[in-house]
Order: sequence, then structure tokens, then C-alpha cells
Amino acid sequence: MLLLAKAALGLGGTLVLAGAYTFHEGVIRVDVDEYRDGGSHVHMWVPAAAVPMAMHLAPKRDLMHGAEHAREFLPVARAIIKEMKKYPDAEFVEVLDGADHVRIRTHDGKLQIDVDEPGEKVHVLCPLSTIDDVTRELEANAHADAPSA
Amino acid sequence: MSRLTQSFLVRTAVIAATSLLFVPLGALGQTAAAPASSTPSSSEKTTTSGAKDRWLHVRVVSSDAKGETVRVNVPLELAEAVLPTVNHNRMHDGKVKIECAHMNDVDLKTLVEAVHNAKDGEYVTVQGRENDVRVAKQNNYLIVHVLDKSNGKTRNSQVEIKVPMKVVDALFSAGKDELDLVAALHALSGQGDMELVSVKDTDNTVRVWLDSKNVTE
Repeated sequence: MLLLAKAALGLGGTLVLAGAYTFHEGVIRVDVDEYRDGGSHVHMWVPAAAVPMAMHLAPKRDLMHGAEHAREFLPVARAIIKEMKKYPDAEFVEVLDGADHVRIRTHDGKLQIDVDEPGEKVHVLCPLSTIDDVTRELEANAHADAPSA
Repeated sequence: MSRLTQSFLVRTAVIAATSLLFVPLGALGQTAAAPASSTPSSSEKTTTSGAKDRWLHVRVVSSDAKGETVRVNVPLELAEAVLPTVNHNRMHDGKVKIECAHMNDVDLKTLVEAVHNAKDGEYVTVQGRENDVRVAKQNNYLIVHVLDKSNGKTRNSQVEIKVPMKVVDALFSAGKDELDLVAALHALSGQGDMELVSVKDTDNTVRVWLDSKNVTE
């Protein structure tokens, strides 16, 4: 019985450590609801820490291809995210057009994009640090692809 | 070890392990407890930015039936940091090329320098059938007022621009054919709360202003 208790404690501790590591950077949340016949309802939660790991596992050639396309905008994106981190709770853009409502803001260190319109709702929440990691990784791949001088 | 103590220890260990399992789930639940759409509208929020943060606000309100409203809030520090990274077309290193700086043989930079050195006063006053234009320098501010009367008396449009001379000087500090946007923003960040641009016509109202709040009114 004591052995079982020790095993439970060990398993619990391991799971806690794994859970804490997986969720220490927060969660990427994507909610898409289309209120019509056959409309899709997507609700996705992904641990933010999984994204840089997945990028390491992604085929190098595909990453370099993506980075090449985004090369011009990567420094701008990185600068924006770096600065946005200084404003963890701020409203940047809000558009109201009748029943349509679009908001881009930071909330609790996450970039939050909300689009509400009749018949469709899209909400995206992503930690700024994750976007920073992704742009950093893409930039590294873009530089790896660049011809040496 | 007595049977009672052993049983107690086992139960404690199992409870502790179960509790530990729920810790990350609880943290996740807290993250999820603030749903993406549950946050209050900007108009209900109060400021959370530091006192030294300077924010540039743009608000466009359309007077059509749908009442379209666009609100943009940009920290000057963010704009100052991001602009130099934009190297596209005429933009480079926070400066924008203006190849028409010698418009109709008028050297804009020299003109700005002349205005800077001149005393306060009205430089241009045009009163016409279609437009009234007034350009003046007053208390170290460059002021431009335009009243467009071409659409009839009831459909007048009015433009009011008030820019500190320091900002104008910084804008033209780069060179003859360039506007230094970053220098202008930096000069703007040293200014107090103020309205920079106001446009009012029958279709839209546009307002650009500077303050320390991270939300619009």
C-alpha cells in the first residue's frame, strides 16, 4: 500500500512538472463560430510552449520557405511585439461598424483579436512571448537561407 | 508502523498527488476564465499605462446610418521603435523621402527655417468663395485652418491643425528631401496633452490627439 502511495506521489509530481512546463507560457486560444447551416465551430486550445517545440520539429525547408516570404516584415513584427510587451493591457485598434466589432488589444501579456459580426465570431488569444519566439525562429531561418556575402 | 498510521499516510499521499494533478488544470482554468470576448469595451476601461507614456490617438466617426467608428491608440514609444524597422518604398530608417521637396521652386526646408525664425503672426490668409485658409504661427505652434465651403453652406468641412514648432523642426531636420518621422515623434513625446488635428464635415469627424491615456474617451 505504501508502495502504491509512493508511486502515486511520483506520478503526480511528474505530471505536475510536465503540466507546469507545458502551460508556463500560457495557452493559445482560437474560437471560431459561424452561426449558419453547416457553419463551423472551432475551439482550439494549444499550450504556447508547444509552438516553439513544433517549429524545431518542422521541416527546415518549409520553415525557410515561409521565412523567405515574410523576411521583409519580420523585423517590423519583432519590433511591434517587443514594444507591445511593454503594454500588457492596452487597446490598440477598435472598429465599430453597425453590428460589426473588431478589436485588437493586449490583455494580460497576450495579443487578443476579437471579431464579432452577425453570424460569425472569431476570437484569437496568443501570448506575445510566443509570437516573439515564432518571429525569432523565422528570422533565424531567413538568415540561414540568405546568401553569404 | 501501525496499520492506522500506514492507512493515514497512504490517504495523505493519494490526496496530495490528486491535488498536485489539479494545480496545472486550475491554472489553465484561470487562463480560460477570462474569455477572449468578456473584456470590457475601450470606452469603459480606465488607463493602465504609466504616467510618462505618451499615446497618439486617432478617432474617426462616420455620421452615416451605421455610425462607423474607428479608434486607434498608439504609444509614441512603440511608433518610435517600429518606424525605423520599416524599409519599404520611400520609407527607410524612420525617414520618408519626399522627392517633391522643391515644389514649384519652393524649398520647404528653408521655408520651415524661415517660419521658425520669424515672429508670431498670420502668414497666409485666404478668404475665397470656396475656401478660407489661415496659416499662422502662435506661441510656438504652427496653426493651419481650412474651411471648405465648396459643398454649400450646410455642408462645410473644417480642418484644424495645430503642431508644435519643435515637431515641425524635427520633421524637417533630416535633410532636404526627407522627413524625419522618428525625430518628429520624439519631439511630440515631449509635449503636453493636446489636439493635433480636427476634421469636421458632414460625412466624418476625425480627431488626432496626444495624451497619457491608453484608451480613447
